[in-house]
Amino acid sequence: MSETILKATNILKIYGNYKALDKVSIEIKRGMIYGLIGENGAGKSTFMRAIMGLITTDEGDIELFGESGTKGLQRARRKMGQSIETPALYPELTARENLRVQAANGGVSEREIDDLLRLMSLGDTGKKKAKNFSLGMRQRLAIASTLITNPEFLILDEPTNGLDPSGIVEMREMIQRLVTERGMTVLLSSHLLDELSQIATHYGILHDGKLIRELSKEKLARETRQYIELETSEVQKAVVVLDELGIRDYEVINGTEINIYEHLDDVSTINRSLVLSNVNVSRIGTTRQKLEDYFLQLIGGNRHA
Amino acid sequence: MLNLLTAERIKLFRSKKLWIVLGILSLLPIIQVMNSNMTVHYGTELVQAIDTVVNGATGILMMEKNGLAILLVMSTFINFFIGEEFQNGTIRNALSLGRSRTHYYLSKLLIAALLTLVGVFILTALGMISFSVVFGFGEVAEISHYFTFAIKTFSTLYLLILANISIYVMISFLTKNIGISLIWSFLYTIGTGFGAGIFQQTQHFKQVTFWFTESFLFYSDFAKPADIARFPEMVLVSLITIVLSSTLGILLFKRTDIK
Repeated sequence: MSETILKATNILKIYGNYKALDKVSIEIKRGMIYGLIGENGAGKSTFMRAIMGLITTDEGDIELFGESGTKGLQRARRKMGQSIETPALYPELTARENLRVQAANGGVSEREIDDLLRLMSLGDTGKKKAKNFSLGMRQRLAIASTLITNPEFLILDEPTNGLDPSGIVEMREMIQRLVTERGMTVLLSSHLLDELSQIATHYGILHDGKLIRELSKEKLARETRQYIELETSEVQKAVVVLDELGIRDYEVINGTEINIYEHLDDVSTINRSLVLSNVNVSRIGTTRQKLEDYFLQLIGGNRHA
Repeated sequence: MLNLLTAERIKLFRSKKLWIVLGILSLLPIIQVMNSNMTVHYGTELVQAIDTVVNGATGILMMEKNGLAILLVMSTFINFFIGEEFQNGTIRNALSLGRSRTHYYLSKLLIAALLTLVGVFILTALGMISFSVVFGFGEVAEISHYFTFAIKTFSTLYLLILANISIYVMISFLTKNIGISLIWSFLYTIGTGFGAGIFQQTQHFKQVTFWFTESFLFYSDFAKPADIARFPEMVLVSLITIVLSSTLGILLFKRTDIK
């Protein structure tokens, strides 16, 4: 069983009467890329700040690398890197100087600075100050800054925020490279499920400070995969026909709906067989639930609950 | 703590604000000696009780002569020096690495104290040199052991200023915003500096006057034996101010949420 990197239990953070985090519990194991999804104000950044010790929590326990308590967490946080919300840089310093400051903060050598600048495609920035960098360059420098201390666990809050499409792809590839080449564990957030789905291995959906759903990449794929939606008033008869056609992967949703997950290209054949067997077909067609729709359905469901 | 101080050194040496502060504190004595020289040239005699610094020997009182200017320059520097960390979000970089908030606070206080020491040393040294060149080294009336007097006076004046520096550091950490800390620091400096006159008018608050280091700084003549005799009191008030403000600042900063 892989090592637990983060174990947050019942984290509660209250601002006045507003519960920014309402008993949130998350467990992240080594090697995971855990995507935290939620609308703006859902509590993603607050949760990350609580983990990094930037804010106090009203209730709950945090365990990092198996350590807890003030001193234990301080020790554990030395193995972590973060970039929460806007890239935190010294605008008057160059990329190299920003990294030197962070190396000093972490008490590590400056040996890796050149490699990191190259890794982040910032090797040729020279004397250019960080305030004159593009947003993409600032994001990359912020991540380089988190990497200077060789963290085992990386926390990135909306790392693709404000980036253009090529910047988003570049950032995604970079995070994947860090996980495969350096064996890091990553907690990253976004308000776009579609974007996270291309990189995360596990997901946590936050809504109004509550963790409303946790699921793995496989489970998400299953829940959002393409299928044939069949609507009929004679579900039992339809099931017999499907069995005769050799279709096994289907799900009876209710008294009028069946979702079929295989033979997706054979809609007309299925339809013909059903009609020839005197099954009344009200509607049949291929459908795919978009990730964003899935997300909206989840938080909508929660909203109406 | 040493790691934090190393990081501060890198930031500080690349900071224009550091050089502006040192530039102002270096220029002040030069401008003042030229001004005093012109005053004398037009027939007015310099009087120590009024002009504070009248020759090289009294140059040790440059901090007294420029008390308000030093406080305003240093408060502005400190408000930017600390406030920018909050506004750029860079404070997160150090704290999220598990650095203790107490160490972070103390490293900022230590840097501010060291910069103030360097600044007032340059100010005093240049004041003594320039006034010596123009008016001669001379002496301080009624002082027989000049060296001891100079060391005691410099240390006491520095401590009085340091007490205010410690207040500015506390204000910056509590407000977390450059603009707001500038306003509060300015109000504190003006309020406690010039509030003494108001306190003196009232029976009940008369004693409050000398709970503030600025009252000593602005209303004492550090070359007068009666005021020199109050040096221990000044040192005590300064130390109490530094300890209280730093303790309060650290306690509140530890409970502060970092955005």
